Amino acid sequence: MRNNYIRAIGFAVAISLLLLIANMTVPKTVLSMDQHTWSDQEKAILGSLWIGSLGSLPVDPSNKYSDNPKAAAFGRKLFFEDHFSGNMKVSCATCHREDYSFTDNLPLSHGMDTTPRRSMPLAGVAYNSWFFWDGRTDSLWSQALGPIESKLEHGISRTMSAYIISKYYREEYESLFGPIPEITEDKWPQEARPAQDDPNALKAWVLMTPEQRDAVNRIYVNMGKSIAAFVRTIVPQPSPFDHYVEQVQAADTTNPRMALTNDEVAGLRLFIGKAKCTNCHNGPMFTNSDFHNLGLPQNKKAASDEGRSTAITQVLSSEFNCLGKYSDAHPNECPELRFIDTSDKKYVGAFKTPTLRGVTDRPPYMHAGQFATVREVLEFYRSQAQNPELGHGDLTDKELNQLEAFLHTLSSPVTSLQAEVK
Amino acid sequence: MKRILLVVIASISLLMGCAAQNEPMTGHNEGMTEEHGHGDAKITQHFDDSLTKLTDNNLYSLELVIPNKNLMMGVNTVEIIVHHATGGDVAQGELTVTPWMPGMGHGVMEKPVITERGGGLYSVDNVIFSMTGHWQLQVKVSKDGKEDSTVFDFPEVKAMGHEHSMMKAPPPEDLDYSTMKMTAGDAFTVMYKSTSGKIRINRIHSWELTVKDAAGQPVNNAKITVVGDMPEHGHGLPTQPEVAKIGSGGLYRVDGMKFTMPGWWVVTVSIMANGIHDSVSFNLNLL
Repeated sequence: MRNNYIRAIGFAVAISLLLLIANMTVPKTVLSMDQHTWSDQEKAILGSLWIGSLGSLPVDPSNKYSDNPKAAAFGRKLFFEDHFSGNMKVSCATCHREDYSFTDNLPLSHGMDTTPRRSMPLAGVAYNSWFFWDGRTDSLWSQALGPIESKLEHGISRTMSAYIISKYYREEYESLFGPIPEITEDKWPQEARPAQDDPNALKAWVLMTPEQRDAVNRIYVNMGKSIAAFVRTIVPQPSPFDHYVEQVQAADTTNPRMALTNDEVAGLRLFIGKAKCTNCHNGPMFTNSDFHNLGLPQNKKAASDEGRSTAITQVLSSEFNCLGKYSDAHPNECPELRFIDTSDKKYVGAFKTPTLRGVTDRPPYMHAGQFATVREVLEFYRSQAQNPELGHGDLTDKELNQLEAFLHTLSSPVTSLQAEVK
Repeated sequence: MKRILLVVIASISLLMGCAAQNEPMTGHNEGMTEEHGHGDAKITQHFDDSLTKLTDNNLYSLELVIPNKNLMMGVNTVEIIVHHATGGDVAQGELTVTPWMPGMGHGVMEKPVITERGGGLYSVDNVIFSMTGHWQLQVKVSKDGKEDSTVFDFPEVKAMGHEHSMMKAPPPEDLDYSTMKMTAGDAFTVMYKSTSGKIRINRIHSWELTVKDAAGQPVNNAKITVVGDMPEHGHGLPTQPEVAKIGSGGLYRVDGMKFTMPGWWVVTVSIMANGIHDSVSFNLNLL
């Protein structure tokens, strides 16, 4: 008994001594501080990536219906409507699946046929300046109109779209946009559009009167503006990364329940530091919205793709651009188009930097689905160490693991703010 | 330092074309002229890493020098030194250079611009490769009615930024970030400010420039261009800014400024006024 007592005292003394030594050398608080301590400059970068700095949805001056809840509710119906297709089976939601972060899981998307590129994710799309992988439109509403007339996607015409609106959605449309001119299949050709790929549709379009063409264009544009009013409400929710930034900003770094693990934090450090990912993936949407040629391997199933290079003249000549007659913007409100870089040779094979929010939830990757996993993407970037555009430093396997772990923390539910509106 | 010296000597000898032959240099291989026999015809070579070829009918010896080591997709400059295959410079020859994609059976719309520098040296600017892949440069030489040609082959032209020597050093630590500076030739003082305060990336914004002459008087009749560049990455602004005069007082407004990457940017303002052309570069470090 007495022996036990002495032993206990000895044990206690030993423990105290150990604690004392431990405290003298490496205080415990410092241990946990190191991992989560960020310099002022790093904190500023974390703040710039934080979802809270996204702000409210940017105004689209070219679409006066963009924040109209009725237009958004109408646009939501059109988004899921498969009547707007050549086989009555394709809607916007075919390639922008609500259950897959509003994109699809295919390397090359498939509507009426296989397209040359991968479907883009829609979360936070309203924060873009340019739309599609090559930025060939400068507004969400004009983007929404492209696939409908593409043979590979919806595969119908604007005259057919106007007819479907008049037949199935007349009341809803007219309550928003005013009376529809009398449309019958006899009066206006079903398959008329200003097409470069279909001489018959083009001829039918040209034979219509200017007034008829304008009437059809107005209905078609209003469809696009309604779809855009819905799609712009699709936004990412705060992710574990965002919660972590809030903890760091609140100096809550001794919290035993930090939002990120040690590996994830190490990955974040690489992301904003050595690996230089924020060169292009910057801001709260993790994209600079610019166009870059990464020297990616070509998808053998897709034709060679000039990317941004050919999109420059497309957006400038589009009747649906910000400066066109169907835009609601004052010319001064179109700075991106006004100051567009017309050096097309600089942009051969260049594609838009995509958002990284939710990136691990939606393989495959790159504009033509060249990589099946995030890991393959990271390996590709590592292999491009000598490229000044892509210099990500000499990354070890462990660092690649950490970066991958960090990318998982950008996941969050993708929801439409419009979902509750009936 | 020694390397720089070598490059300088090499450049000088290049600028003089074959003039270096008259005063043979020793000790620097780059400066030496080597001649390889090809029957009666011979190839003359000044540079170790240049490409040499005899034209198809053995009339001329061509030496192709690529200053950036590698040709890449985009706009390139090369230099061609032309000799008679029997020896001697070809001065005042007629040169045509045509970029060609053999696999596609097409070239490019824009033609290279050729300038004779003397001593058999011709610089060829505006050599455009519009895409990646297999390219050729078809070179035709004509002198005193004797025409001959050959083809230089580039099996794999890569995209901008790949393996070309544009890797540049990070910004020097003592970089001058001042917003008011003299132009390089001391002709003007230029001050800039962003009209929306702190410059943030990914936002189109405007700058205001104040331009004064050396005597401190406002310059109101200037023609100004503004170019942005990222020295570490070798690319520029994603926009084409426009400059407009605002009233008098040497004030100008630059609309359409946009930076899409954090880090070191250099914005160069070129000013043409009162018959003087001068420019100034501002450094920016964007978060």
